[in-house]
Amino acid sequence: MQSYRPWLLSETRRHFFSRCSLGLGQVALASLLSDGRLLARKPDLANPLAAQDPHFPAKIRNVIYLYMVGGPSQLDLFDHKPKLQELDGKPIPDSFLKDKRFAFMDFFTKEKPRLLGSEREFERYGQSGKTLSECLPHTASIVDDLAFVSTVSTDNFNHGPAQIFSNTGSPRPGKPSMGSWVSYGLGTESQDLPAFVVLQSGRQGPRAGISNWESGFLPTIHQGIPFFSSGDPILNLASPAGMSRDRQSSRVEAIRKLNLARLAETGDPEIATRIASYEMAYRMQTSGPELIDFSSETRKTLDMYGAEPGARSFANNCLLARRLVERGVRFVQLYHAEWDHHGNAHVNLQEGLDKVTRETDRPSAALVRDLKQRGLLDSTLVVWGGEFGRTPMGEKRDSIGRNHHIDAYTMWFAGGGIRPGQTIGKTDDLGFSPVEDPVHVHDIHATILHLLGLDHTRLTFRFQGREFRLTDVAGNVIEKLLT
Amino acid sequence: MALGPTMNVRFGTVLFLILAACPLMGQIGEGATDDGPLLFRETVQPILQNRCLACHNQKVRSSGLSLESRDGLLSGGTRGPAVLPGDSEQSRLIHALAHSSDLNMPPGGKLPDAEIQALEQWVALGAPWDESGDSHTGGHWSFQPVRRPAPPQVSDAAWIRTPVDNFILQRLEEEGLQPSPEASRITLLRRLSLDLLGLPPSPDAVGRFLADTRPGAYERAVERLLASPHYGERWGRHWLDVARYADSDGFSDGPRQIWMYRDWVVRSLNHDLPFDRFAIQQLAGDLVPDASKEQIVATGFHRNTLLNQEGGIDVEQYRVERVVDRVETTGAAFLGLTVGCARCHDHKYDPVSQKEFFQLYSFFNNAEERSPELEKTDRPRHWPFLEFGTDREFARRDIIRSQLALLEEELKSYEKGLLDRLPQWEKELEPERRREFPLEVQKILALPADERNEIQLKTLHLLYKEQDLGFSTRKAGIDSLKQAEPKLPSTLVMKELPEPREAYVHLGGEFTRRGDPVRPDVPAVLPPLDARSRPDRLDLARWLVEPDHPLTARVTVNRIWQRYFGAGLVETENDFGIQGAQPSHPALLDWLASELIRQRWSLKAMHRLIVTSATYRQSSRHRADASKVDPDNRMLARQHRLRLESEVVRDVCLSASGLWNRAIGGPPVFPPQPQGSSRLGHSKREWVASQGEDRYRRGLYTHFWRSTPHPALMVFDSPNGITTCTRRSRSTSPLQALTLLNDEAFFEFAQGLARRVLREGPDQDSERIGYTFRVCLSRPPSAEETTQLKRFLDRQRNDLAQHPQEARSLLSLDSEDEDPKELAAWTLLSSVLLNLDEFITRE
Repeated sequence: MQSYRPWLLSETRRHFFSRCSLGLGQVALASLLSDGRLLARKPDLANPLAAQDPHFPAKIRNVIYLYMVGGPSQLDLFDHKPKLQELDGKPIPDSFLKDKRFAFMDFFTKEKPRLLGSEREFERYGQSGKTLSECLPHTASIVDDLAFVSTVSTDNFNHGPAQIFSNTGSPRPGKPSMGSWVSYGLGTESQDLPAFVVLQSGRQGPRAGISNWESGFLPTIHQGIPFFSSGDPILNLASPAGMSRDRQSSRVEAIRKLNLARLAETGDPEIATRIASYEMAYRMQTSGPELIDFSSETRKTLDMYGAEPGARSFANNCLLARRLVERGVRFVQLYHAEWDHHGNAHVNLQEGLDKVTRETDRPSAALVRDLKQRGLLDSTLVVWGGEFGRTPMGEKRDSIGRNHHIDAYTMWFAGGGIRPGQTIGKTDDLGFSPVEDPVHVHDIHATILHLLGLDHTRLTFRFQGREFRLTDVAGNVIEKLLT
Repeated sequence: MALGPTMNVRFGTVLFLILAACPLMGQIGEGATDDGPLLFRETVQPILQNRCLACHNQKVRSSGLSLESRDGLLSGGTRGPAVLPGDSEQSRLIHALAHSSDLNMPPGGKLPDAEIQALEQWVALGAPWDESGDSHTGGHWSFQPVRRPAPPQVSDAAWIRTPVDNFILQRLEEEGLQPSPEASRITLLRRLSLDLLGLPPSPDAVGRFLADTRPGAYERAVERLLASPHYGERWGRHWLDVARYADSDGFSDGPRQIWMYRDWVVRSLNHDLPFDRFAIQQLAGDLVPDASKEQIVATGFHRNTLLNQEGGIDVEQYRVERVVDRVETTGAAFLGLTVGCARCHDHKYDPVSQKEFFQLYSFFNNAEERSPELEKTDRPRHWPFLEFGTDREFARRDIIRSQLALLEEELKSYEKGLLDRLPQWEKELEPERRREFPLEVQKILALPADERNEIQLKTLHLLYKEQDLGFSTRKAGIDSLKQAEPKLPSTLVMKELPEPREAYVHLGGEFTRRGDPVRPDVPAVLPPLDARSRPDRLDLARWLVEPDHPLTARVTVNRIWQRYFGAGLVETENDFGIQGAQPSHPALLDWLASELIRQRWSLKAMHRLIVTSATYRQSSRHRADASKVDPDNRMLARQHRLRLESEVVRDVCLSASGLWNRAIGGPPVFPPQPQGSSRLGHSKREWVASQGEDRYRRGLYTHFWRSTPHPALMVFDSPNGITTCTRRSRSTSPLQALTLLNDEAFFEFAQGLARRVLREGPDQDSERIGYTFRVCLSRPPSAEETTQLKRFLDRQRNDLAQHPQEARSLLSLDSEDEDPKELAAWTLLSSVLLNLDEFITRE
C-alpha cells in the first residue's frame, strides 16, 4: 500500500528512471504475497530503480556478459579431445544419437554423421595448465584469472529460441531477461544511467532482437537499453540540429515551469516525476557523450583492447563496458556475431573462426586485465559464452563445419566470488556429453543471481496469478565455481 | 465449505479494508482477521503454493508429505503429522518454518516472519481448508452465473446520471466520501475526445461545444465522437494489443502481411459489430456457413502468432507452439483465465486440468499451416492467406508466372551448356582480361581445376556466368518480368484441415512425449458445450458468447472499464481465477456484464453508458481527504489522470502539427526513427522513412517489427506484440523526455505546429500564444502561462536574430512563406507545448 508522497519529496528524487505506475491490485497482492517482503525492503514505487539491498551480502555489484552469438565451437577453442582427432572421419556410434534431436536433422538423416577432429593446435597455459587452442592467445595470457565450465547444456538447438532461453530462462519470447531481473532486484547505483545496458557489434545481431533484453511482464523501466560506442550513444540523446545547449536549456526550463504550474493545479505527483525525468534527460545529454569519449583513455589502454575511437567494434564495446561499470551500471551485455560455423562460405571453422576470434580474443582478455588492474574485477563478474556449442560430428556444407550442439559446451567466468584457475565438469572422449558435473543454463542463472546476492527462488514477480522467476522451477547454484 | 457469491463479496470488502489499513504486510498475520477460511485463501494457500508445493505435492511427496490437501497435512509424512489443528506450538510445520527444531524449511532459507506468523495464526484457528478456493470445485465467484443486481439506493440521488453511478456512489457513501465535482466542460470534451478517438478536440470543436448551451450538449458530443471513423482506430488499437498484432514474424523476424486484419478490427468497431459476432468471426469466421471474405479476414486474429523461420528447426515443434499460443490467447482474451498454466501439469490454482488444456488445444490443432507444395521444406511459410485483386490482375499474374516458369527452365539448360564451356573459356582467357578480375578470382584461376574447393568453384561460376552476355540478358529478362508481376495484397487467415489432426496430452508440456488422446471440449467448471459429436472452433466460439457464459461478458466489460479508469473493477484483468483480485464493485461488474448482453453485445452502448455517467465526468484533481481513505482511488471519488498510450502520444502531436494524414487503413507505414534502431536484430535492415503523406499517419499504422520495434512506441510502453497484452504499463522515464525533445519526428511536429499557427492563428503574439495553447491543450492559457511563454518567445527571437544561420538549421520542413527566424522561434515555443505533461495526459 503506497500512499501518495508529498510531491516535493518525490521531486527531490534524482534518478534515471522514476515512477512506474502499478495498480493497487498488483502492488497490494505483490506485497501481500511475496516480493515486497522477500526483497530486503519494499520496492520504492516513486523510484523503482533506486539501488536496493540484496537478499544476502553480494559478492559482486556488476555483471558484464560477453554474449557470443551463434554458438562457439568448444571443441576448437577449449575442450581438447585427442580421441576425436584419432577417430576423425569415422561414423559416430549410434548409441550417442539415440533419442537425440538436432538442428538440420535432414543432414544427419541423409548421411550418417562422421566425427570431426579439430584442426587447431592446443597447448597448456598458466599455472592452472588449462588447455586452449591457438585461436585464443590473449585469453591464454589471463587463463589463471578464469574459471571454465565445460559441461554447460541447454534445451534448444535453434539459435533464436536458444538465445532467448539463455537470456530469459524460457525459449518463448516475451519473458523478462536476466538483466531485467537484476535491475528489478537491485536497481542501479548510477545517477544518470540505466541498470541494464546492451551493446552490439558484428555483422548480425541476435535472432530475436529485443526479446533478448526485454523486461517482459516486469515494468518497462527494467528493459535493457541499447547504447552505441559512436555517434549518438543513446537513441535521441543529441539535440536537433541548430539546438544550442543554451536553447535546449531554456526549452527544458520553460517546460519545467509550465509543468510545475500544472502540478499545483492538479496535485498529481506523476507530474513531479515527469519534471525530474526532464532534468535527468538534460543531464544525460552531457554525461552520455562523455561516456563514449575515449580521449581520457591512454594509448596503452586503447591498444590493450584494440579499441579505436569512433569505431563500432567489440573492442570498443569492451572498453565501454568497463566505463559503464565504473559509473555504476549493474548489468552490461555485449553481443557479438558470428560464431555459427556450419562450414558456409566465410563462416566456417577455418577463416571464419580465425576472424571472429581475432575480433574478440584480445578485447575480452583486455577487459578482464583492465578491470583487475583497476581493482574492479573483485566487484564485477565477467561471463563469456554463447547460446550453445557445436557437435563433435562434422557437417558437410561448402566445407566441413559443425552443427549446433546443446549437450555440452564451454563458458568461462571471471571476477568476484569466482574461484579462478579451474575447469568445472568433464565431457566424454568425444566431447559429446558431460560425464562429470553437468551444468544447465538455469544453473548459470542461479549462480549469477547468487553472486549478486539474490536468491533465484526468492526473486519473483507475480503475473497472471502466479509467481514467476528467472529459473522457473529449476536452477542450482554451481557451488564449485565459487570461492 | 462452498461459498456463494454473496459471501465472496463480503470477503472482498474485508480484504480491501485490511489492505487499506495495514501499509506493512507483516501485520496481516497479527490478528488482522480471525476469519480462518479467508486467511487460508488469501494468505496461507499462496504461501503453501509458492514455498512448499514444489516438493510437497501429491506427486513428489518429499519425505512422504503432501501439503496439497488438509488430509495430507494432518496425516503428514515420515516424521508424523505436519500440524495439530488449534495448536501451533505442537505443529511440526511451524517448527520447521521457524527453524526451532532440527528440521529447517524451506531449504532455500527461512521465510519472512510475517509469513510464518500467518501460518501460525492459521494453525491456531484450526487450520481450516477453504474448499471454495480448492481447485476442484467451481465455487469461485467468477464461475457463478452473471446476476443482474438492482442499482442500489443512494442518499444523493441528484448526483446519479446512469445506473453505474448508483453502484459507485453507494460505495463512496459507505466510506463517507463525497464524489468530486464535475470537470470543466473543456476538460470533459478533451477527455471524451482522447478516450473515444485518441485525438484532441480542435479549437473549433471546443468552441462549438462551449456555444451549445442547450440541454444534452454533452450527450450530443458523445454521439458525434462515437460516430467518428477514428473511434475504430482508437478502440481497435486496444483490441490489437489483445490480438498480439504485429507486421513481422518474431524470431528472425521476416515481414508479413496481415494489416487487412487490423483494418477489419477498425471497421468492425466503427460499425459497432456486436461483440459476440466480433468474437465468433475472429475465432472461426472461416467456419461460418457461407463465410464471406470479410469474415475470413477476421480469422487473422489467430494468425498473429509467431513464425520461426530459422533454418534447421523442427517445424512441428513451432506449429505446436502456435497452437498453444492460440489456446492461451483465447483464454486470456475471452475467459480472463491463465489456462496456459495447465500446459505442463494441472493448473495449480484454477479448475483447469492438463487434460482440459489439451481439450481446448484440440480445437485449434486442426488449422492448416503448410502449403501443400512446400510440405517438404524445413521452413514454415506464410500460409494460408487470402489475396485481394481484380480478375484481370489475377489473370495477368497467372500469365506472367507461367512465362517465368518457361524462361527459368530455359535459363537452367543454357547455364548447363555454359558451364560445359568453362574449361574452354579459361584456356582462351587473355592475361589482360584475367587481371581485371577480383584478386580472389585470379587466385582461383591460378589453381589447377581439380584442386578447387566448392566455395572456390561457386565463386568462379558466378563470375563466369555474369560476364556471359547470353546469360545476363536472359537473367535481366526474367528479373524485369518478375518486376511486372502484379503484387497483390494478401492477409493471413485460418483454414481448417479436411480431417482433424490427432490431439493428445503432451506429458510435461512436451509434444514429443505422447499422453492420452483427447477430444475437443471445454473445462468442466464452465457451462457444458452444447454441440454435435465432434465440436469445432465455431462451436467453441459460439459457446464463449452464450448469454449464460459466466466469464466472457464480465471480462469484456471489465476491460472496457479499465480503459476509462486506469484499472478494471477486477484489478487483475487477465486473471479472473482463484488467485486473481476480488472485484472492487462486484455488483457493478455483474450489472455491466448483464447490460452488455441485454444491449445485444453493443460495445458502443457500453461506452455511452460509462462516459455519460457522473462517475466518469468527475474532475481528476487529487484530493487529500480521499487519498487518505483510498490512496489508489479504487472507489473513484475522482477521475484518474492517465498518461496517453504510445500511439496516442504520437497522434496528439500529429493532430496539433497540422501535418496529420487522416487516411484510415492500408499497409503499414514508416515514419522516421533514430538511426540504428532497426539494426539491433538478426538482419540489420534499413528503415527507410516514408516521405510524403505516409510520414504523417497515426501511430496505429507504424510498421511493427517484433524484434526491433519503433523506439518511440516502446519508450511509451507499447506491448511487444508477442503474447497477448490485456493491460499496458505506464512508466515515466528520461528516454521519453529525450524522445519528445529531440526525436526527428517529434521536432518536425513542432515545426508543423509553428507553421500552422503562423498561417492560421491571430497576428498578435499573446493572442497567437493563446491560439497555440488551445490547439494543443484545448484550454486557454492562464495569464501567468501567457507571460511565461511570451518571455520565452522574445528570448528566442533575440537569440535567433543573432544566429540566423542556426534558425535555418533548426528547420527541416518546407516553408517558403515564413521568415526563418520567426518560424524557428515559434517552433521552439511549439515544442515546449508538445512536451508538457498535460499535453500527453488524459485528465
